[in-house]
Amino acid sequence: MQSSQEPSVVKPVRARSINYERQAKILGWLHRGVILFGSLAVLLVVLAPVTWLVSSSFQTEAEIVSVPPHWIPEQPTLKNFQAIFSASADETVTYETRSTQDPSSGNYIPSTARNLLPAMRNSLAVATLVVIFNLLVGIPAAYAMAKIRFWGRSGSVYFILMTRVIPDIALVVPFFLVIKNLGLLDNIMSLVITYLAITVPFTVFILIQYFEGLPDELDKAARVDGCSRLQTLTKVFLPLSLPSLVAVILFAFLTSWNEFLLALMFTQTAQSQTLPIVLASFTSDFTISFSFINAAGLLAIVPPVIIAIVFERYIVSGLTAGAVKG
Amino acid sequence: MRSKPAGSSMAVSLRRHFNYEERTALLFIAPVMSVLGLVAVFPIAYSFYLSFFSIKLTRPNRTPFVWFDNYLDLFRDELFWTAVLRTVSFTLMSVTAITVLALLVALLLNETFRGRRLVSTVLLIPWAIPYVADALMWKWIYDSGYGALNGLLYQLDFIDKYMVWLGDQKKTLPLIANAFVWKEVPLATILLLVSLKSIPQDLYQAARVDGAPLMQRFFHITLPSMRTGFMLVIIYETMMAIRHFDLFFILTEGGPGTASHVLSWEIYVETFRNLSFGSGAAMSYLLALVTFALAYFIIRTLGRSV
Repeated sequence: MQSSQEPSVVKPVRARSINYERQAKILGWLHRGVILFGSLAVLLVVLAPVTWLVSSSFQTEAEIVSVPPHWIPEQPTLKNFQAIFSASADETVTYETRSTQDPSSGNYIPSTARNLLPAMRNSLAVATLVVIFNLLVGIPAAYAMAKIRFWGRSGSVYFILMTRVIPDIALVVPFFLVIKNLGLLDNIMSLVITYLAITVPFTVFILIQYFEGLPDELDKAARVDGCSRLQTLTKVFLPLSLPSLVAVILFAFLTSWNEFLLALMFTQTAQSQTLPIVLASFTSDFTISFSFINAAGLLAIVPPVIIAIVFERYIVSGLTAGAVKG
Repeated sequence: MRSKPAGSSMAVSLRRHFNYEERTALLFIAPVMSVLGLVAVFPIAYSFYLSFFSIKLTRPNRTPFVWFDNYLDLFRDELFWTAVLRTVSFTLMSVTAITVLALLVALLLNETFRGRRLVSTVLLIPWAIPYVADALMWKWIYDSGYGALNGLLYQLDFIDKYMVWLGDQKKTLPLIANAFVWKEVPLATILLLVSLKSIPQDLYQAARVDGAPLMQRFFHITLPSMRTGFMLVIIYETMMAIRHFDLFFILTEGGPGTASHVLSWEIYVETFRNLSFGSGAAMSYLLALVTFALAYFIIRTLGRSV
């Protein structure tokens, strides 16, 4: 697919019976066709499943079980979202009342629907705290590893690299026993602490990468002017590294927002459950309305998708920087 | 090595051994080191320690030291080897698909065309959403009663009656892999695009002058130059696939039968359903070791070849 400059190559050096101009034209059309086809394929593959999720979440129970499916809801309804956002939705069904209902009328919205908003708040709190801790421990460390010469510098960089490779599932068993002994089960602090293990290494890497890209002269000039190391960091480097800070904040936030495994182990009640946990609890119950599950799913993907679209540039550059060494 | 040691004698000795630069550096990295020591190194060491004990929460007061019994039991356990096999086949199919698809999309995004921004922004969506949402979305698509996959294939006349998807032992693993690939391709694409963009253009110019056709340019310049990119993608995605848990939990719970009983699921069942923390720790530890070894192995082989 490197044929974008194909026309310039085809030089009429020898006079042969081939019509070069025509050949170049055909190649150009072919090239454009491949690009168009590829773009449409990517858009379709990415957007079709998500669109189906969105469409399902607005369908009534009667409509969602139609065969073949209605791709676009014929009688769109907001009932699923009402159940989430108004705690007193009269359509809410509990385990006790469910059996008395007519199965064909559907409406099986679980009573735990009202846990979704508190779960969202928990997710938000956990993610925010994780971001703050990441910045507090990550920034000075990355600055030191990027700009200060000291014994053990490359050793500490390798140490961070090693910790990035540890699988989260391998941390679960020891974490569980420790968290249990600390009495932090069912407390969002247990999530904040353990999420640091999966976010901090990445944070430090992106920042090291960025700080290393800033000229050493900057560092020296500030030091000659009498800045301490801390002042150099806060007054010279931080204002310059805003893009990488944005990337770091986004990654730590999204990782915490999306994390499932650790939250599954350490949370038990609505007091600490995060959004993915409440969502997962719906999927294992076969009597819950499909359209309601999709509405809940939509609630979970809206914030990350907005973040991804708004901050696309920062995310891509951050991922790129974090990747080079990771 | 904390900031202000309580005893002044320690401060003095610190001052004597390290100059200002070194002291600041140590001070700056101390928080990260203590945090990671606490939440990453300590747990790994602790699970190594735990793996030598028989710990069952069903009998909390007796935790005998059993040497390597947890490991030996694992190696004798047929289910463990099934789990290894499932993990390997899931990883192989996912990583292959991710690498190939990401290469194609990266080649597409490397061109300049109208709407390129749109495609690359949309591509970030799967990357950003939670795995749980990815899982419930595909679970609903694969649904054997009312799912979109059945509906689509039925309307297009590929099938004449609705089929069972996730419940079919032969299809389970590829279908889960599909949900995994859908979410992982965007990141892999970004990584490959970086290495694609870093190929010097004069290489292509030279090849064109020599009259090398498109395919030859691709196989002799593009692919070899992207070696580091491929290495990165393969390492990262292998690590992600080996440890993956979320999709298995929501889509199949290891079923049907043992068709999707992967290692991470086995660790979960052993630890939190059988409440056998000793053997759970042993398995976790093995998984961590294998991940380290694989990363090392892939770096060595791919880094050397060509």
